[in-house]
Amino acid sequence: MADAALEQMYQEVILDAARHPHGKTDLAGDGGDEADATVHAAHEACSLARSRQFNPTCGDEATIHVEVTKDEPHRIARIAWDGQGCSISQASLSIMVDLVDGRTVEEAMDLFRDFHDLMESRGEGLSDESREDALGDATVFQGVSRYPMRIKCALLGWEGLKDSMARALAAQQ
Amino acid sequence: MSDPSALSGIRQQFPILDQEIHGHPLVYLDSAATSQKPQTVIDAESRFYEQDNAGVHRGAHELAARSTEAFEQARAKVARLVGADSTEGSEELVVTAGATAGLNLLTTAMGNASLGRGGTDARRFALQPGDEIVVSQAEHHSVLLPFQELAARTCATLKWLPLTEDGRIRTDVADQVITSRTRVVAVTHVGNVTGAITDIAPLVQRAHEVGALFVLDACQSVPHLAVDFHALDVDFAAFSAHKMYGPTGVGFLYGRRELLEALPPAQFGGSMVELAYLDRPAQYMAPPARFEAGTQPVAQAVAAGVAADWMLGVGMDRIEEHERAMTRALLGLADVPGVRILGPQETQGRIGTVAFEVEGVHPHDVGQYVDAQGIAIRVGHHCAQPVHRHFGVFASNRASTGVYNTVDEAEALIEAVRGVRAFFAR
Repeated sequence: MADAALEQMYQEVILDAARHPHGKTDLAGDGGDEADATVHAAHEACSLARSRQFNPTCGDEATIHVEVTKDEPHRIARIAWDGQGCSISQASLSIMVDLVDGRTVEEAMDLFRDFHDLMESRGEGLSDESREDALGDATVFQGVSRYPMRIKCALLGWEGLKDSMARALAAQQ
Repeated sequence: MSDPSALSGIRQQFPILDQEIHGHPLVYLDSAATSQKPQTVIDAESRFYEQDNAGVHRGAHELAARSTEAFEQARAKVARLVGADSTEGSEELVVTAGATAGLNLLTTAMGNASLGRGGTDARRFALQPGDEIVVSQAEHHSVLLPFQELAARTCATLKWLPLTEDGRIRTDVADQVITSRTRVVAVTHVGNVTGAITDIAPLVQRAHEVGALFVLDACQSVPHLAVDFHALDVDFAAFSAHKMYGPTGVGFLYGRRELLEALPPAQFGGSMVELAYLDRPAQYMAPPARFEAGTQPVAQAVAAGVAADWMLGVGMDRIEEHERAMTRALLGLADVPGVRILGPQETQGRIGTVAFEVEGVHPHDVGQYVDAQGIAIRVGHHCAQPVHRHFGVFASNRASTGVYNTVDEAEALIEAVRGVRAFFAR
C-alpha cells in the first residue's frame, strides 16, 4: 500500500537507476581516507582527484573520481564513483554521471547549481524552464525535495563532484 | 489483536500522539531516540517558568529559595527511580546536559586525574601508558568515543568485549578481556541497536576483582526496566531524561558517593567553587556542585523529576510487563519474508527495541516507506557503527517502544514492512 506522494518520490527512473547504476566502479584500495582523497596520480593530459562524501545520519558514503583535462576549457574526461547508500543517493549518482560526463567543469558547476536549487525548491521545481531542461533525468528528484531529511541523499554525489573537480583543478595550479 | 490494556489511560496523557501523519494516525516507534512527554511533564516545565524561576544555589530571595528547592527535589526524585542516594551531603546524582555530557564529564575528569589533578585522592582515576580501558562492541558512540579519547590522551589501550552472533555482549570472555591492567570497564546496560539486556553482574564482579571502575550506560535501561544502581553495584552510570519521558537538555551522572568525592572537576566556573583567588589555587565545592559549573538546565531538571515520579506512579512492574508484550509483538517482524532481526530473537533478556534489515532495501528507503503510513521508526546507524559492522551492515531500521505503544501499532508496522520489498522491486 503506497500512496501517491511516495510514488512521486520513488519514480521508476529512480528505482531503475538505483538498481542498475551507471559509472559505479570498484575504487577500492587507495583514496579511502579523507587525507588520501587528494590528487594521487599525475596524468599527461588530465589531473585526477577523488572526493569521499559521508551522510552522517545514515552512514552512507560515496567516493567520486574525476579526471579533468589540463587544456582549457577544462573538461571531465572521466568520472566514476564507488559507495553504498539508499536508492535516492545511488540513483542520483548514476544520473549525475550520465549528465556531466564529457562536460566542461564550468558546465558541470552550472548543473550543480541547478540541481542544488531544485533540491531546495521544496517540491516546487525551478521557475526557469531552461534550467530544468538542462537537468534532464535529474529533474525526477523534484519529489525528493519535499523531504528535508532526504535532500542530503540526493546531493551526496553532487557535493563529491564539486569537491573532486575543485581538487583536480587545484592540482593543475 | 489485543491492546496491552495494562497501560490503558496512559496513551491519552501524551498530547503529541493525537495527530495524523500523511493522513494516517501517528504510530511513534522511535522512543529509543527520544520518548514523548506526558502532559504533566510538559506542564511542569512551563509551570516552573511561570511561578518559580530563579537562579539556584545563589541569592536569598523567595524565588531563589523555591527554585533551589525544586531543583534539589528533582534530583531526589530521579535518585529514587534509579536507586541512588540523595540525602543532603551524600548526593550521588550529578545534573548534566545529558548522558553524553555525563560520560564526557567523567572521562574529562579522569583525564584531569591522570595529569595529577585532584591530588592523592584522585589517583584511583589516573591512567597511564600500559593501562587498559574496556568497552564493548555494542557501545553507542557516546560511550566509545569519550573513552577512546581518554585512552589516546593517557596512552592507555582501548579493548573491547566481543558480541555473540545475535549481538549480546559476551561475558564468557570477561576474564581474558578484563585483566589486572584494566582500570575502567564501560558498557551499556541495554544495547541501543540490539535491545539486548547485558548480564552485567559477571562484568561488574570481574572489574572489581581486578580493581577497575565499572561505568554503566543506562540510557536504554532506565526508561524500560526497574534499575537500582546500588543493587547493580556499578561505580558510575549515565542516563538522559529525554528518553525517560522527561525533557531534552538534561541528564544525570551517577557516581558512588565516595568516588564522586575523590573525582576532580571537569568543568570550571560559577557555582562549583568555595574559594577563588588570583594567586592561589581554588578550593572546589563538594559533589554534586563540584561537577555542576555554570547555570544548570533547572526547568528541565525539575520536569525530569516529575517524569521520574510519573514513571514510579505508572509502576515499573507494569512498565516492564508492557515492554514484554511489545517486545513479543515487534519480534513478529522476523516472520516477514526478507527481514532479519539484528539482535536476540527471543523475548527473554531484551527490551522492545528491535533493529532489523529488509533484504535489498536500504534503511532510509524502508523508513520513508513506513513514514508514508504515519509510522515513525529510526533508520541509519543509530550512533553505533561498530555493532552494525558486527552484523555486516552499514545501517539498519529500528523500532522501539514506549509506555504509550500498543500491540496494534507493532502489528501496523509489521504489516507496512510486508509491503516494502514489492514497492522497491516494482
